[in-house]
Amino acid sequence: MTDASLKAVDERQDGVAEELATRPKIIGARVKRTEDPRLLTGKGAYVDDRKVAGMLHVAFRRSDHSHALIKSIDVSAARQAAGVVAVLTAEDMSEINAVFATSRMRDYHTTPITALASKKVRYVGEPIVGVVAKSRYLAEDALELIEVEFEPLPVVIDPETACLPSAAVLHDDAGTNVLCFREFKTGDADAAIASAPIRVSGRFRFYRKTPVAMENRTYLAEYEVGRDELTLYTSSQVPGIIRDALSDALDMPGSQLRVIAPDVGGGFGGKASLYPEEIFVAVAARRLGCAVKWTSDRMEDLAATSQGFDQIVNAELALDANGNAVALKADVIGDVGAYSIYPWTAVIEPVQVVSFLPGPYKIANYLGRVRGVATSKPPTGPYRGVGRPTSTFVTERLMDMAAQRLGMDPVALRLRNMIQPDEFPHRIGSGIIWDQCAFTECLNAACDKVDYPTLRARQAQARAAGRWFGIGVACYAELTGIGSRISVAPGMPINTGTETAKITIDSTGAVTAAFGVTAMGQGLETTLAQVVAEHLGGRVKDIRVIQGDSAAVPNATGSYASRSAVLAGGAATLAAKEVKDKIIRAASHLLETGPEDLVVEDGKVSVVGTDRALTFRQLARAVYLEMRRIPADKREELASTKTYDPVFGTSATAAHLAVVEINPDTLEIKLERFVVAEDCGRLINPMIVDGQVHGGVAQGIGAALYEEVVYNDEGQNVTASLVDYIIPTATEIPPIEVVHIEAASLTTLGGFRGMGEGGTIGAPAAVANAVADAVAPLGIDILELPVSPERLFRLIENSKQHKDATHGHET
Amino acid sequence: MKPPPFDYFAADSIEAAVQALADAGGDGKIIAGGQSLMPMLNFRLLRPSVLIDINRIPDLAYVRDDGECIRIGPLTRHRTLETSSLVAEQLPVLHEAMGYVAHLAIRNRGTIGGSLSHADPAAELPMMSLLLDARLEIQSLSGRRTIDARDFFLGALTTDLDEGEMLVEVRLTKLRKGTGWAFEEVARRSGDFALASVGITLSHDDGKISNVRIGLMGVGETPMRATDAESLLAGQPFSETVVTAAVDSIRRTVEPNTDLHASSDYRRHLVGVLAEQALSKAWQRATQAAHD
Repeated sequence: MTDASLKAVDERQDGVAEELATRPKIIGARVKRTEDPRLLTGKGAYVDDRKVAGMLHVAFRRSDHSHALIKSIDVSAARQAAGVVAVLTAEDMSEINAVFATSRMRDYHTTPITALASKKVRYVGEPIVGVVAKSRYLAEDALELIEVEFEPLPVVIDPETACLPSAAVLHDDAGTNVLCFREFKTGDADAAIASAPIRVSGRFRFYRKTPVAMENRTYLAEYEVGRDELTLYTSSQVPGIIRDALSDALDMPGSQLRVIAPDVGGGFGGKASLYPEEIFVAVAARRLGCAVKWTSDRMEDLAATSQGFDQIVNAELALDANGNAVALKADVIGDVGAYSIYPWTAVIEPVQVVSFLPGPYKIANYLGRVRGVATSKPPTGPYRGVGRPTSTFVTERLMDMAAQRLGMDPVALRLRNMIQPDEFPHRIGSGIIWDQCAFTECLNAACDKVDYPTLRARQAQARAAGRWFGIGVACYAELTGIGSRISVAPGMPINTGTETAKITIDSTGAVTAAFGVTAMGQGLETTLAQVVAEHLGGRVKDIRVIQGDSAAVPNATGSYASRSAVLAGGAATLAAKEVKDKIIRAASHLLETGPEDLVVEDGKVSVVGTDRALTFRQLARAVYLEMRRIPADKREELASTKTYDPVFGTSATAAHLAVVEINPDTLEIKLERFVVAEDCGRLINPMIVDGQVHGGVAQGIGAALYEEVVYNDEGQNVTASLVDYIIPTATEIPPIEVVHIEAASLTTLGGFRGMGEGGTIGAPAAVANAVADAVAPLGIDILELPVSPERLFRLIENSKQHKDATHGHET
Repeated sequence: MKPPPFDYFAADSIEAAVQALADAGGDGKIIAGGQSLMPMLNFRLLRPSVLIDINRIPDLAYVRDDGECIRIGPLTRHRTLETSSLVAEQLPVLHEAMGYVAHLAIRNRGTIGGSLSHADPAAELPMMSLLLDARLEIQSLSGRRTIDARDFFLGALTTDLDEGEMLVEVRLTKLRKGTGWAFEEVARRSGDFALASVGITLSHDDGKISNVRIGLMGVGETPMRATDAESLLAGQPFSETVVTAAVDSIRRTVEPNTDLHASSDYRRHLVGVLAEQALSKAWQRATQAAHD
């Protein structure tokens, strides 16, 4: 070699070394979402987009009674109506097994879930009769010909009344409306409260909410008669759970039953449960031997998709004179609606409230009691945040109330009571163990972002000028990426603690990564491809991610509980590493080089320091097609299926800070600023994390200021359209600033913590505290959410009357 | 949420449309933008035997200067009014109000004829037609008639239109030079129906309030004029006392409904707040104009 060529090689090697050192890792890169070109140009494939020859359409006759006996159903005229193929009642489906959300938990009563109501209806909107017709129009026309005779029973609307022995019971088999009862106890809260100098308490109410995914629930069952094979396309977050449940209900083996969630337009928990309509289309398709589709309209969505929150919390916090919290006591009533939802049970929301109430604080004495109470409303189910929006609202309001009583700054009070960085792991009073949470780091970061002391000074000036200006913070942690030792809902007969990835390089060199988790819009197709690319040495754009297909992996559940990045990400890591090992072994034969001299990067394997390389395509051809190149006994399929179980899981933390200004005349509430400092562990894609935080916060702002499902005394939903059930739009959401703490989890593969729900957990409490702070000079507390201008008006009027009355009494 | 069966007729002239209305014997419904009608059909709240589509009738969408008044064709979209320079110049209060009409997508389709015929008590155009002394031209098989807006709105979603009649033109009185005006509205979210809203026009006449008109909406079964408050203000110098008296009068006379979003009391409070703000703005504009 000449000196010049040696120099050139040196320079090239320097270049490679430099590139390796400086190039950002794929995990952590701000990769644009690979699914967006498809989804944003209307080329997504949602269930309703799927059209099959001869496909029939379903419309349901739903109950217009809240609680009633079904005396008779006459469908004879409907069966004769134009275009109608079948009209089915519960009687026609008696061979289908009811599904029960069971739990080993004590003091829990399950309730049967069936496609159609038989004998009794328990909420307005419950399906009674399914009409299958050639079009949805004709099916709806036929609905009008169905006669159902009801014998009304007393409605069960108020959850507190529903607990009383005198209340009408919805489920005779349960014998009570209290479907679950639990108590968590550490220390002696009553004694500690009794002797504490500072006590704050309230009756907190978080009203019922509904998820309002942009895509309504849609189910299409296709049936292959000759093979007795059923494929259900479902807008579900949990196709794996649905497959297993339908296998029981229809008595079909999983090999003949495939459940696919294609592109799904939002879930927020509302698509994480098994639904009667889902069972119905499966049964009808098999019965009629053809494809059957049901697409929910918005009215049905608001009437019959699982709803959320709806809790009453009587809570008291006691502190010593220095502001150290000593005891917390809470009694929670969760209005769980008419049925115990599958698979999560009626326990899921209310029990999470008492489980998480102590939050990020050291409180030695805790007593939390909870009852999940059935009412004649649609079932509640998991809703983004699950219980924690309420627990955070209550605890964080109590903290602010205590700060006000003590004359302390609310941030200082929180920092004093928080579990400090050197105090982990820490077990809170409900028994939850925080592994390593960035409580103080998040709160300090949020305060730094807004220059908290200056902001308080601005508030003082604003107040002096008669303006209603408020600052609110909220801090929390959630358990995320939960493994097999800690089930998402205790005692359930399903496994929420593992996920599986199957990565394959086929004979064309293409990489397919299949998962049982599902994307509802959160960008998993990109983030999982990033994880695979990182550990496989592939390129993000070349990795085809398949999700939400029960046939793709042997066992799966889906996406919920902020688990997919942790569990699917972990499984992807394990499987990708194994495939990479296989690539290196094969390439070692083909390139006649030791494995230690091979690098796999950008979809090719190369010999370090040379230009000898094989693309995945070349490698795959050699492995699968060019039979002489690798000895038969050394040939390996370039594939791996791995299941990941984080065993315990981890936690994610954030501090939210909201700034509001209220118009003292019109009482309009305007969010000026919203800051989130969050720790979701190692970031896979910061842009996607930001998007998830933004969406979650918007949903939390909806919960705080706008959204409320209202049932009147007759059990009718009076918010049955989006004119009356109001969700925030872009104009109601301020810019959201996000600070990432990024403390990698030590307990999960890759250090991911999971973060899909967090925004919705912190925002309601932060907004409530900001509104309360703005009106604090009026002596008003915010104990109910959403706080609408109307609620504010009433609070102010009551306070004026109270003051007038007190004044009158004194004079 | 699919409509019950109906026949469809695409009219090519006003005459054909009113003929079809007559043929339907009271069972026909005119469809223009469909922004209120289609949801009502999909909820099966309405069951017309025939939908008479007027979208293809030529020359039914226009905004014309006719000296004293602005003539507006019934098929004129909200967005056209919102962006019309003639409206902005001659009826600035309407221009301002149009920005509050629902959302852009709805404004692109919704029409003035549809909004007035639908007569939602919390919609902007019915109130504007009262405030701007609209004359409404109505046609049926038996000919044309003209009605003042103040006689047109009979109740929530109820007008003086007979089953066989179609609104064929709206004439709005131009504001006189120097008129002060204001439009104030509060809704739950941007684009929602008003919880309460106030529109005002007035003149500055040698330091005194004159030609004052106050339109209210969202606080009764129909949009309304606050005539008592107008009388209190007329001929008075602008002062806190007279404004307070007008606001008190408005709060006394309205009887708002309680619904999910706002109680009667809050709406009453709100309409007073908005009236006070609107009076002050309108007076400032009128004063400014008087000095120019």
